[in-house]
Amino acid sequence: MNRPEQNDPLDALLREQNPYVEDNGFTRRVVSALPSRPSRFPLCQIFLLVVTTIGSALAISQLPWENLPLLNLSALITLNSQVLLPWALALSVVGSLIWATVAAVQWED
Amino acid sequence: MSFTDADLIARVLSREDQNAFGELVRRYQSPVRAFLARMTRGDAHLADDLAQETFLKAWRKLNTFRGDAKFSTWLFGIAFNEFRGAARQRKELALEDVEGPLLEEPAAARDGHLRLDLTEALKLLNSNERAAVVLCCQNGLSHEDAARVLDCPLGTVKTNVLRGREKLRRRLSPAYENYESA
Repeated sequence: MNRPEQNDPLDALLREQNPYVEDNGFTRRVVSALPSRPSRFPLCQIFLLVVTTIGSALAISQLPWENLPLLNLSALITLNSQVLLPWALALSVVGSLIWATVAAVQWED
Repeated sequence: MSFTDADLIARVLSREDQNAFGELVRRYQSPVRAFLARMTRGDAHLADDLAQETFLKAWRKLNTFRGDAKFSTWLFGIAFNEFRGAARQRKELALEDVEGPLLEEPAAARDGHLRLDLTEALKLLNSNERAAVVLCCQNGLSHEDAARVLDCPLGTVKTNVLRGREKLRRRLSPAYENYESA
């Protein structure tokens, strides 16, 4: 933390010559020009969430969950595509849903 | 009963309370307008336009204020960005390191008008030095907070404060000796 030198006349001069600026209607002008605040969840965020939810729901409903092959160590080691591909698809659906939710919540103008 | 800045911000965010925001404007209009007036080399109309835009932007972006710095520091950051935007469009604002007649003619100092002279002397600094000096030496921000406002490394702020003060000291020395002895 910098501290102005108390005995330095330049610092004293700078502090002293920082006059208060009278409002003279400035606050009223600003307040009268205020637009309505953007809502917490603007349209594009809602759109992103809805589209991702519909897409994910469709993907989840079409996925053959009951036929998902058993994930085991040998399939991972041998990179068996017949086992890994359905799992990769399922994970990407869940991942995109999580990503869209986080993106919508953290959305900034 | 007086509300803290945090109370007022919470009211704006939860109820879109324009009166609460108005109170924040009332509290900080003076330092923000004075800072921008220094940055625009005394163009009060432009400074007020930039200050108004600063507060309107603060209103729109208030939900991004995290509270890890003071509200005034956050406002100065927006104000400096507004100034930078204006400087990109206006050549005279972007003018850095004024040389020549201004440096050679300390008329105000000769006349002993110290207030006028400080205003003129600040105009001679480049915008980064001026911003650093005004924020740290006039508004009492720490170097760390000024670095946050100006979006530059801490070392750069320290250098700019040192250089700015040195230039002011050289420029003001005649009047300033009188000030010291007064």
